[in-house]
Amino acid sequence: MSGVVEIDVTLPLPRFALRVEATLPAGVTAVMGPSGAGKTSLLESVAGLRGATGRVAVGGEPLLDTARGVSLPPERRRVGYVPQDSGLFPHLSVLGNVRFGARADHGAVEAAIDTLEIRPLLDRRPLTLSGGERQRVALARALATRPRLLLLDEPLAALDVRLRERVLPWLLRVRDEWALPCVYVTHNVGEALAVASHLVVMREGRVEAAGEPRALLGAPALAAEAEAGIENLMPGHVVSHDDAGGITRVRTEAGLDVAVTLSAARPPGTPVTLAIRAEDVLVATGPVTGLSARNAYAGRLLAIDRTGVDVTLRCALDAGGAEMLARITPAAVASLGLRPGGPVWLAVKSHSIRLL
Amino acid sequence: MGAGDLQVVAFTLQMAATATAAILVPGVAAAFFLAGYRGPGRGALETILSLPLVLPPTAVGLALLELLGRNRPVGAWLAAHGVEVVFTWKAVVLATAVMSFPLLVRSARTAFEEVDPRLVGLARTLGCGPAAAFFRVTMPLAWRGVLAGTVLAFSRALGEFGATIMVAGNIPGRTQTLALAIFHETQLGRDERAAGLAAVTVALAFAALWLTEWLVRRRSRTEGA
Repeated sequence: MSGVVEIDVTLPLPRFALRVEATLPAGVTAVMGPSGAGKTSLLESVAGLRGATGRVAVGGEPLLDTARGVSLPPERRRVGYVPQDSGLFPHLSVLGNVRFGARADHGAVEAAIDTLEIRPLLDRRPLTLSGGERQRVALARALATRPRLLLLDEPLAALDVRLRERVLPWLLRVRDEWALPCVYVTHNVGEALAVASHLVVMREGRVEAAGEPRALLGAPALAAEAEAGIENLMPGHVVSHDDAGGITRVRTEAGLDVAVTLSAARPPGTPVTLAIRAEDVLVATGPVTGLSARNAYAGRLLAIDRTGVDVTLRCALDAGGAEMLARITPAAVASLGLRPGGPVWLAVKSHSIRLL
Repeated sequence: MGAGDLQVVAFTLQMAATATAAILVPGVAAAFFLAGYRGPGRGALETILSLPLVLPPTAVGLALLELLGRNRPVGAWLAAHGVEVVFTWKAVVLATAVMSFPLLVRSARTAFEEVDPRLVGLARTLGCGPAAAFFRVTMPLAWRGVLAGTVLAFSRALGEFGATIMVAGNIPGRTQTLALAIFHETQLGRDERAAGLAAVTVALAFAALWLTEWLVRRRSRTEGA
């Protein structure tokens, strides 16, 4: 696919120079990298809030082209920007915020209100909203201006895990219903996998890697950035729902059958990514019976890595050759007498698996 | 209170209101500029603008006199165009305006500095030009401080004495404000009349400050959480 958003900008920052050259396809591009890598500065440069030089074009139309003396002010770029803390105007109601940038465009305002289902909130003041509601309003406010490009700066970072999972579906809805090119800054691997079709990894103001998220997420550059605890990421698709049993069955690309807690909102066939923390994986030296965990797999121990106080076990599962990481204490390794090459059985509770 | 006293009160209010109105736009503009300015000379600029706060008002009055006296360049030019400033009500307005200006600027500048610049940036991405962003975001968020500064400037104008007496003199019925009248009556030994006028100034200043408090409280209740 040809590039929809072309970025080639330079901006001096206190510690280094931001120097980003990237071509983004249609859809969502996740931008990841350590704090202070220049991710927010990049978004601000694209939005026109920083005096960057170079070139930014959306759909071939330049917003910035220093060489040709083009530098549209932010109000003429039609770029929607949603910061981490939502940045709602405290002196206006929710409706006042949503209408702020599109006073005459009722159609866009109504569509944005409907997409994010914030109609019951319209008379409220931003200070009275929950974090998740604020982010939905901020998204609606940006959408109501009919932007050509959406910039999201860690839109879920200020929310706790429970709230994150409740706001994420709205983001997916915006992505699917508004078909906007979107740049999504995040620290969270799960979010990047869930929303993005393209990934840019930044370090010290430069692009360190760019490409298909699933291919890049295995890269060592990103391993360090992976959200602590989500060591096992397995792409797959929903097979069926068991309402009575309260579980949803998922088959991974490696051919592993996994039961997760009921997630009826995703019809069979929906692609999903399973996220399992290594410390949530139980390890046994014999076949697992009489245990409540719904998922048990036989496999072989490949390697034992000391990681800080704990030990990480790398295991190959017999089914489909999938790999899984488990984290246990050195005491457990000793008492189980684990040796590389030996047989292991791994068990995971349905509740310990997050569906992305 | 006699007719003469009423005239003095009305004249003082008129002068203070005119002076405050005259400095409102330039004062808010200067405050907004200073709040965002990070270039060279910022410190010097702030110091110069604050100078009337710490100088003896008589020194400021003397400087104005030097500028506007009939045989000084500016004064002579104005006189040639038929504008007489010194020892007229215009001198009262000018002196009180100069003395009140820094109070307005300081208070408004603090208010502008407290407005999150990212909100202004967001307003820009939502289609506002710089002027629209100022009136739709910056001003609505800073208005309390601007109003407080305006009332402070008005109250200061009500009581201005030193600079006024230098450039406007103390002419009953023409340039005499409350502060000047109190001084005048005391000089003449009419302490009771002076005390009466002093009580009026207390009442006026109290009313102005209380009104502001009330406005700000009322607004923050409707706006707040």
